[in-house]
Amino acid sequence: MTADDPRYGHEVRRRMASLAGAGSFASGPDVIAGRAGDREQGAEVELQMRTAGDRVTEARFRAFGCPHFIAAASWLTEHLAGASRDELGHWDWREAAAALEVPPAKFGRLLTLQDAVRDAAGNWPGGAASTV
Amino acid sequence: MSEVVYLDNAATTAVDPRVVASMLECLGPGGDYANPSAVGHGPGRRARARVEQARAEVAALVGADPSQVIFTSGATEADNLALLGAARFYRERGRHVVTSRTEHPAVLDACRQLEREGFEVTYLKPGPDGIVEVAQVEAALRTDTLLVSLMHVNNEIGVVQDVGEVGRLCRERGVLFHVDAAQGAGKLPLDVGRDCIDLLALTAHKLHGPKGVGALCVRREPRLGLVPLSHGGGQERGLRSGTLPTHQIVGMGAAYRIAAAEMGEEGARIAGLRDRLWRGLAAVPGITLNGHATRRAPGILSVTVDGVEGESLLYALPQLAVASGSACATVSGEPSYVLRALGRSDRLAQSSLRLSLGRFTTAAEIDLAVQAIGAAVSRLRAVAPEPRA
Repeated sequence: MTADDPRYGHEVRRRMASLAGAGSFASGPDVIAGRAGDREQGAEVELQMRTAGDRVTEARFRAFGCPHFIAAASWLTEHLAGASRDELGHWDWREAAAALEVPPAKFGRLLTLQDAVRDAAGNWPGGAASTV
Repeated sequence: MSEVVYLDNAATTAVDPRVVASMLECLGPGGDYANPSAVGHGPGRRARARVEQARAEVAALVGADPSQVIFTSGATEADNLALLGAARFYRERGRHVVTSRTEHPAVLDACRQLEREGFEVTYLKPGPDGIVEVAQVEAALRTDTLLVSLMHVNNEIGVVQDVGEVGRLCRERGVLFHVDAAQGAGKLPLDVGRDCIDLLALTAHKLHGPKGVGALCVRREPRLGLVPLSHGGGQERGLRSGTLPTHQIVGMGAAYRIAAAEMGEEGARIAGLRDRLWRGLAAVPGITLNGHATRRAPGILSVTVDGVEGESLLYALPQLAVASGSACATVSGEPSYVLRALGRSDRLAQSSLRLSLGRFTTAAEIDLAVQAIGAAVSRLRAVAPEPRA
């Protein structure tokens, strides 16, 4: 899909083709969520994470945005597995930018993703209140 | 059917094979490749005859006399020559220009240049349907209004302005009237005499002719003055110096001759395909039409797709060559200024598609486009979060 478009790297194309991690969990006491962004600004994401003890076991996303943003949300769902609440609170968007070859003009959209991760950390029972 | 369905004919069209054949006659050894200004020898005179034949073919499509046609590199140059040339020539007569906010950048940027030169420009805001009413133009006219510029067919949304009524108003008031007809010529009837058009900008490549050639039709009776933009060999009555590209001009002439002969039948066929496309897309929830429902050119359909992001929508349609607004505007990456002028939000403007049909578009391609867009929209909406309450 769009293999000849130099704006999108291999990982973006792969994830846009599969949309791995898209969807949501049934709500429950072991599911936390974080949300950030605004459609009017062109990027909005909702992350859900299933937790066991002090670790994330699985994650899902729903995203509205450009291909880099959707692909980054997909990538994130795999990389959050095993993360602790503290790690969520310190997750940095640059990891996703590097992995997905996101152009600098779109770094701001990844900050939206970072906000959603930190929002989820804030919503973890016993965590700090959400700031988003 | 080709691998990619080409629905970007408002950006440019494939050159008709009949046009290609005409052009090839002017390129190689034994062809009419000589400089058409070199009328001192036979090959030059033959090239000149080809140019004059093309001039007559271009003029015939728009009801002009061949002597009114000045060949240029395209509609952008023609627009610039018209606006800058006329304003500079008549600057002592008045310094006020009227245009609309939804004109092509070739007009808007020329108007900005005029502002830098001391002119005042009124930019009319069209209604939500993209139409600039004649009454708006009338209300904007002042005693020092020199020129009105209004496009025939909008390149992004395809709405048709009533250039005839505006032309008659301008003629009554003694105001020059310029029309950018890049999208309308050959698609809809246009007559510079009937419509009182003093300056008409034309191009070849939107009409299955070659890129790199266009024309400006200049009123001759009474003669209209223009200050040229470039200086050199004095070709085209001194208004557009430079060696005439015979093959390009002959290609434009052939494209216009074919359009004149086939406009009625082809327009009806393309309008039918456009309506088929719209019926298919209208069945997808959240897709709305941009621009007036009936005052539209046959080949352009602009829609807004709510609930999906524009770049992702284009990404999800690799089997279609479509635009997310005008090709010229998308270079900037900004939401379409035309759609914003119609009152669309930045988000909705950004989530819009322009699908433009041409001579070689088929019903099977339209059906494939409807299916592809419907599937892409469903997939992207499925992955989006529920809107906030």
